[in-house]
Amino acid sequence: MGKARKIIIDPVTRVEGHGKVTVHLDENGNVNDAFFHIVEFRGFERFIQGHPYWEAPVLVQRLCGICPVSHHLAAAKAIDQIVGIDPEDLSPVASRLRRLLHYAQIFQSHALHFFYLASPDLLFGVDAPREKRSVVQVAIDHKEIARKGILMRKFGQELIKALAGKKIHGISAVPGGVHKSFTKEERDYFLEENDTPSVDTLIEWSQSMVDFIKGYHEKNHLWLDKFAAYTSGYLGMVTPEGDLDFYDGRLRAIDAKGNITLNDVPTDDYIKYFTEAVEKWSYMKFPYLTHLGREDGWNRVGPLARLNVCDRISTPRAQQELEVFKAYTNGRPNGRTMHSHWARLIEMLHCAELMHDLLHDPLVLGTDLLRKGEQRSEGIGIIEAPRGTLIHHYEVDEKSMITKCNLIVSTTHNNEAMNRAVRWVAQNVLDKQKEITEGMLNQVEVAIRAYDPCLSCATHAMGQMPLKLSVYDHEETLVKEYVRD
Amino acid sequence: MAATGQTQNRMISDFADCKSLIIGIGNSGRSDDGLGWAFSESVEESELYRGDIVLRYQLQIEDADLISAYDQVLFVDAHSGRVDRGMRCELVDPHIEHSYSTHALLPGAIVGLCKELYDATPKAYILMIEGHEWDLKIGLSEIAQTNLSRALQYFQEEINQ
Repeated sequence: MGKARKIIIDPVTRVEGHGKVTVHLDENGNVNDAFFHIVEFRGFERFIQGHPYWEAPVLVQRLCGICPVSHHLAAAKAIDQIVGIDPEDLSPVASRLRRLLHYAQIFQSHALHFFYLASPDLLFGVDAPREKRSVVQVAIDHKEIARKGILMRKFGQELIKALAGKKIHGISAVPGGVHKSFTKEERDYFLEENDTPSVDTLIEWSQSMVDFIKGYHEKNHLWLDKFAAYTSGYLGMVTPEGDLDFYDGRLRAIDAKGNITLNDVPTDDYIKYFTEAVEKWSYMKFPYLTHLGREDGWNRVGPLARLNVCDRISTPRAQQELEVFKAYTNGRPNGRTMHSHWARLIEMLHCAELMHDLLHDPLVLGTDLLRKGEQRSEGIGIIEAPRGTLIHHYEVDEKSMITKCNLIVSTTHNNEAMNRAVRWVAQNVLDKQKEITEGMLNQVEVAIRAYDPCLSCATHAMGQMPLKLSVYDHEETLVKEYVRD
Repeated sequence: MAATGQTQNRMISDFADCKSLIIGIGNSGRSDDGLGWAFSESVEESELYRGDIVLRYQLQIEDADLISAYDQVLFVDAHSGRVDRGMRCELVDPHIEHSYSTHALLPGAIVGLCKELYDATPKAYILMIEGHEWDLKIGLSEIAQTNLSRALQYFQEEINQ
């Protein structure tokens, strides 16, 4: 009988943020339990208090360098309400420009994740030598994919820059609208081939990447279907007609069998339905649907969840791919974690089509940018960020200063899901192993990485963000530690 | 630093005659880490140089695409070590860097990737300017200011050759 161990992975790599994994083994080397710990803390919700409400969209986006636009827009939607403007009251021009910005953000963020972070695992295998599992090796061995990835991300970033002034931490939204119009010259840049592809090319390339993942799935379905697959609830935003919507809509959740657990409720009512649990071993909270309880009420969010909850997609090519995606599970909710990559690429195709339509819409060149209303004391803004449902909630006093801020970030919704994924790998890959190989450790990361977690957003933290794996015995003594430097 | 270690005289003198790019690297919210940006902004304001200038917190893979369109590139970054006269300019040695993290790449890796992906090898230099303070603070330390002035003077002399 051997000594019990606990395994810790710290830092978890190729994710946005700093996390740590611990695996607890018993005396026989069997996995007792596994945890994904988030070890950063920043406290953005507190220090925004006392600032005037109009600063929120600018300040809060500093949470993150990857998806600042999502925070900018969620905060802006909330602050719109404080100045008396609900989403339907925005001018058609402002509404379109915000959506265009949002789609560009989702597109570039998904491209970053798929090409830079996830593709090495798919192209070289999870057991490939560590030095091979990087986008640099993708650039060497799969030049075409690497070039596409760079330019697809660049398109999104350049569009963000055109609309918000900067690729990262720019400013577009202001209370009640947007502050800058989109010129014809700026617009035309994205319709033509130049040092970035045209939006038409972007659609073709996005389609080619969906075809790539379908082909990859055909060859590797045994692994993709099984790895870190488990049942859960799913949460996302849909239009009143049930279409996928990233910017505005109603909240819908379903359980593992597809039964509705949150029936297209208005986003303003989110607080009636959600509770956040805390655990002493992580700074990241655990949201769940209050009426279902902590055990049954947690949901996955993000691309996989969104495709599970929506009935349709409004653009033709992405709708066609949604039908293929849903047909694979006979219309039942898809709990296969690795299918998140497939779903993410379908969303990229959808964003490319949406950007195409908006760039051809004359209203995006309009100058009717702002609306005014009666000031209120509370605002709630919810959008579908690249990683999932993002909630911003603010209250202000009579002097317009923020008195309360609640942020439920996409990665936070996926906290339980990522813990389940880690547990799956611990039980199915690490269990009973005398020696833990580098490839096995990477599989823990692959499971987490599928959720594209943004740990800096989830804890509102800053700084270097690596990940670590440690092994403890049954008396909680550290036996072995695997650290990447 | 991804450089050959070889300092050259008048190395960037033909900057004015070709398609050139200055990439200022750093973060002006971290005191002397803002040297790369401060240099780039001063060059832009002085109108000494008519090429392109971009600012970066960190170099990333897409910068390989960016530099592929240029003949010469000057990376400018703060340097935490000690160098004679507080600044040094070196040729960048292209190489392929394998790292678990691709959040931040060195200039040599960017030039190496550029060669790998686009079959282009712009002549690249790194101008390292010695800094001393790295805390959360806006503004350069006194010694960094002095080093910045030396770096600007060096740049001016080089392109006026």
